[in-house]
Order: sequence, then structure tokens, then C-alpha cells
Amino acid sequence: MGTIVGMARTSTIDEGGIRDAVFRALDLIGFEPSGPVETVAIKPNLRFYWDYSTGETTDPRVVASVIDYVRERWNASARIAVVEADASAMRTRYAFPLLHYDRLASEKGVELVNLSDGEVCEKEVTVGRHKFTFPLPKMLFDTDLFINCPKLKVGPYASGNALHITCCLKNLFGCIAKPRKVGWHPQINEVIVGLNKLIRPHLNVVDGIVALGQRPVKLGLVLAGRDPVAVDSVAARIMRYRPPSVRQIRLAEKEGVGSARNISIVGENVKAISKLFPSRSPLAFKLTWSGQLWMLRLYAKLSGDAVPPLLD
Amino acid sequence: MTIKVGIIGFGKMGKLHLRVSRYMKDAKVVAVADLSRRALQAAEKEGIRALYGDYHEMLRDADVDAVIVTPPNFMHLESTLAALAAGKHVFVEKPLAMTSADCEQIDDTAGRQGVRLMVGHNYRFFDATRKLKATYDSGAIGDAVLSTFELVHGPLVPSLESQPVPEWYFDREKVGMWLLDLGYHLVDLFRWLFGEAEVVHARLGNHYGFPYEDNAIVILQSRAGPKGVLQVGYFAKLVFPAFDFRVILHGTAGCLSTDRFVPQNLRLHAAKEGIANMLRRMTARRIKPLSYTYFYSSYVEEQRHFFDCLQNSKEPAVGAKDAFATVRLIEDVYRYCERVPSAAVGAS
Repeated sequence: MGTIVGMARTSTIDEGGIRDAVFRALDLIGFEPSGPVETVAIKPNLRFYWDYSTGETTDPRVVASVIDYVRERWNASARIAVVEADASAMRTRYAFPLLHYDRLASEKGVELVNLSDGEVCEKEVTVGRHKFTFPLPKMLFDTDLFINCPKLKVGPYASGNALHITCCLKNLFGCIAKPRKVGWHPQINEVIVGLNKLIRPHLNVVDGIVALGQRPVKLGLVLAGRDPVAVDSVAARIMRYRPPSVRQIRLAEKEGVGSARNISIVGENVKAISKLFPSRSPLAFKLTWSGQLWMLRLYAKLSGDAVPPLLD
Repeated sequence: MTIKVGIIGFGKMGKLHLRVSRYMKDAKVVAVADLSRRALQAAEKEGIRALYGDYHEMLRDADVDAVIVTPPNFMHLESTLAALAAGKHVFVEKPLAMTSADCEQIDDTAGRQGVRLMVGHNYRFFDATRKLKATYDSGAIGDAVLSTFELVHGPLVPSLESQPVPEWYFDREKVGMWLLDLGYHLVDLFRWLFGEAEVVHARLGNHYGFPYEDNAIVILQSRAGPKGVLQVGYFAKLVFPAFDFRVILHGTAGCLSTDRFVPQNLRLHAAKEGIANMLRRMTARRIKPLSYTYFYSSYVEEQRHFFDCLQNSKEPAVGAKDAFATVRLIEDVYRYCERVPSAAVGAS
């Protein structure tokens, strides 16, 4: 038997339903930490200041359920931190309160950590012919348990003009301590895989409660697994991508981050859920988004018309 | 005569006004003032040669006839007063100032200095709102009895430049009352259509964890009769060109909505306008700047109006008195919320 990926759904999208789905998904994979769990870091995906109902950011109720699970199953007094780094257009100190993570922190007694503020270590990694040095938060390497809590979504990266799936592998991009990350976008897949070679989450819990494709969709789904490549392969299938066609999955497997083969999916039927997902064609996106921008610039040049600063 | 213009504050709005100004046949932006070196570099890239780190220096420049004031809300009062004191004509982005008392002070100063002052109430300059008002004023739907005004944006729409949202957006003191920002347009449109009004009810909400409300429902009653429900929010992920705005008037002889005048398919509208502009260009006619965006065309119209007023010694359609009345009505909303505890900000 290969890697297990657990899937659980809730039809009632409220605190109780989400908690139940998170607990079931985690129980399905039977994960047990290899040592004592004194310190825990949980990394949600906070993108800009859009809340979970847009499908862009991890639902704080999913993170709350993960916190409950850690405390109930492994250590009631574990020191838990919810972590996120600043990004080009997002400041963690504002994202936490805006997206109600500060409320979560006070209710659950956990710490909120801005990864851009803490101690940073430079880590080198090679992916294929590419060599990278990343400024990474030291705390991620010192924690007993690092739980990756991405969102299930398809979207364009900040400065990218192409669609990518965003799940476990991509969520570690947000661990780079430096806020301005756009410089890494040209080799985004290699960078993502490099980060996953350096930082190895012990556990991945994917928030598919509200997933994002062409539009947000309430799937009420939670995925859990140890292997980020396996979980992303299942996530890709849910989002109607063939896992081998997703470059970051292919590359991650080649670089030994995990395996997309022999996955045991337990709990739910991928095919049935994928039918509910509003898929988004990368080609259509490229044509509409890049095409629009290209036409806009050409139009502005030929007509002498202005471009609003928003579309620079 | 070409009016020489300086811009105070070269953020998103300053840049927009500069780009719009290029299509004004009798005005030219010659100077930009901003505290930020990066903003000044951006202005230099746009071809501006006279750059100032301190706007007072720019105001001493005799070459500048008029000033466009676009710094953050909390700086409007000081920079507008300084520009008026320097004898410059002023176009200032809304809100004119953070309080009605400050608006009054600006109005007094403008009156004493004998210069023109216009406030950027750009929603009055949408093709759709102008057509709505003209149709309503013609009597086509009789007397309005009920009305709805809706505007939803945000939160903090990012640009394609991946720039962080300005810090001042998160500071209640610097933003002022949130209704003063987005809700301002709806209160102004209500007054524009129906005249002076009073607050019947209000309810503020906070969907996000902002240090101020990010959504509100306000019911106004105009002295002339019509009532209006104003719904405003800063919580939706809307990506350009989408914008969520409408006014619906229910009159004794019919119903009228801005939806009738706003293009239903904004992309198709952009394509049509783009082609029309290319044809205008090919036939050596003037293009209609930014008409393809629909939303931004209102800024062209308001600027054109401002410079036309300066050229022809006319009073601008939206002056300090209008801004004062709008801000005072917004203050009434907050006073109502203080009096009625259930109306104050709650999670919703």
C-alpha cells in the first residue's frame, strides 16, 4: 500500500461540521507524530485580504479544528503558533486581524507569528540545474510538528499570467521570509519544489470547505496526508487536472519530495467530487488574461488612450 | 490659455489624474509633489520635470495655476487650505475633509481667496448617473417615492503591481469614518437627486476585522419626500472591470435604474469603445479617453468639467458647500449610531 490520503466531507458548513470533517480526515490517515509534540507551527494560506468564503484563504475554522485535534490527540498543552509571512501586496499584521485569525488566536490560546519578523536562516537548495538560496524562518526547522494548511484552489500567482493549482506544495512559497517574492516567480515551479526539499511539513491538512476554481464552490471537503506530492495529486484530480500534467507535482516527484504513485485514497470518491468543482482551463485563462492585457497595451499604443494605474 | 497644474500626492489617484489630464485640451500637469521618493520617481517616469518633496514649495511656484489634491484623506484639509492660501484653483479628491467643520473652513477660505474649488464626486459624472438624473428630472417616472443606492467594492483592491496596500488604509484616524470613503458617493448621489435629507435609520457592520465598519445600511428621507435605502460595503472580491453599483428609483409613474444605462457586458463594451477610438484616431478625430473602462471615464468627465469652469470662469458643479452637506449627513449617520446602540458596528 502506498501513501494514504484521507478525504472527509461535511454537508453542514459550520464550526461543528468543519471540525468533524477535519477530525475524520485526520483519523483516516492514522498519522502519529514520531516524537513528543511540545511545539507546533500551522501554516495557513493567506492571500491578500480576501476571506475564506472567496476560496482564496484558509478558513480559520479549519485551523481551529486542527488545533483542537493536536490538543485532544497528542498534547493538550502544546505551544501552537499559526504562521504566515508577509507578501508583496499583503502584510501579515493586517491579514491576521482582517481575516479573523486574531479572534482564533485568543479563543484557542495560540500565538500568531509573522514569519518575516523572526530569526531567519539562509538555506541553499538545488533543483535540477537551478540553485536557490532562500531566507527561511528558523522556527520552522525547530518546531516539533509543522502542519501545512493550504487551500484547495486554482489561480494565477501574484505576478504570473498562468493558472496553477495551489495546494500543499505551493503553500510553502509563503514561508519565504522576504516579503517581496516576485523575483522568484520566473522559476516558480523549481522554487516551490526547492522549498519543499528544504521544509518538510509533517502533516498536510487541505481546506476544501470552500474551494476555488472558475468561481468559489462549497465542497465541504478536507484532505489530509503526510506526503504533499500525494495530497496535491489528489487535489489536482479533484480540480480536474491530470497530476502528471502539473509541472510542480512532476518535478517534486522527480526531486524526491514525495510520490504521486500508489496513493490510497480513503473516505470519499475523487471522481464524484471533481464533478462538483468548477474547473478552470489554463488555456482559456491565458487567452483571456494575457490576451486582454496584451490587447490593452497594443490598443493604448495604437490609439494613444490611457491605461488606468490599476492595470499597469 | 493652457492651465498649468500641480498634483499633491502621487499615489494611485494622483497617477490617475495625471493620465486623465493628458486629454484635457487646455490644461497640462507641470509639477508633482509627494513625500515619497518612490512616488516622485514614478512621476518622473511619467514625464514630469518639476518634482517636489514638499508641496509648499510647489505652491510657491508661480508657474502652477491650479492644483489637484490627492493625498490620503487625512491630509486633504491641510493641503487644500495651503493651496487656496497660495491663490491656486483647487480640485480635491473626495472627501474634501474629515469633518463638516473642516469642510466649512475650506469653503470660507476658498470664498475669501476668490479661487475655484471643485470636489471629486466622480459618481455624478458617470454616463449612467447623468442619464438617470436627466430622465428623472424630465418627469418620466413621476415623483420618486422609494429608492435604492448600492455600491460594493474591496477589500482594498490590489493593483497588478503587487504593491502593499497603503498603511493609512488600516488606520481609523487617517481614513476617517468609513462611510466617508465609499459611502460618501451614495450619500452624495441621494442629495444630488433629491436634495437635503435626514437620517431615518442606520446599521453598521464589520465582516472583516477592520478597525472600522466595512458595510452599512442607511435609510435617508429627503425633505422633498423620497426615501432611500443606501447599501454600501467594502467586502467583495471584485476584479476589474467588474464594479457593483446601482441606483434604482421607484416613482409614481414608473421605475428607473442605472442598470438600464450601464453596459451589461463590460468586456464587450471595452471592445466596442476600443474599436471606436481606433477609428477616431485613424480619421484624425479626438478619442474618448478611458471610455473603454467605463468606470474611469467618470474621472475624465469631472476633470474636463473642472478645467472648463476655470477657462470660462464658471462655478464647478460640486463645490465645498456640497461636500460640507454630504459630510454633515454622514456625521448624522454616526450620531444616530451613537444614539441607537443596535445600529453600531457589529460582526456581520
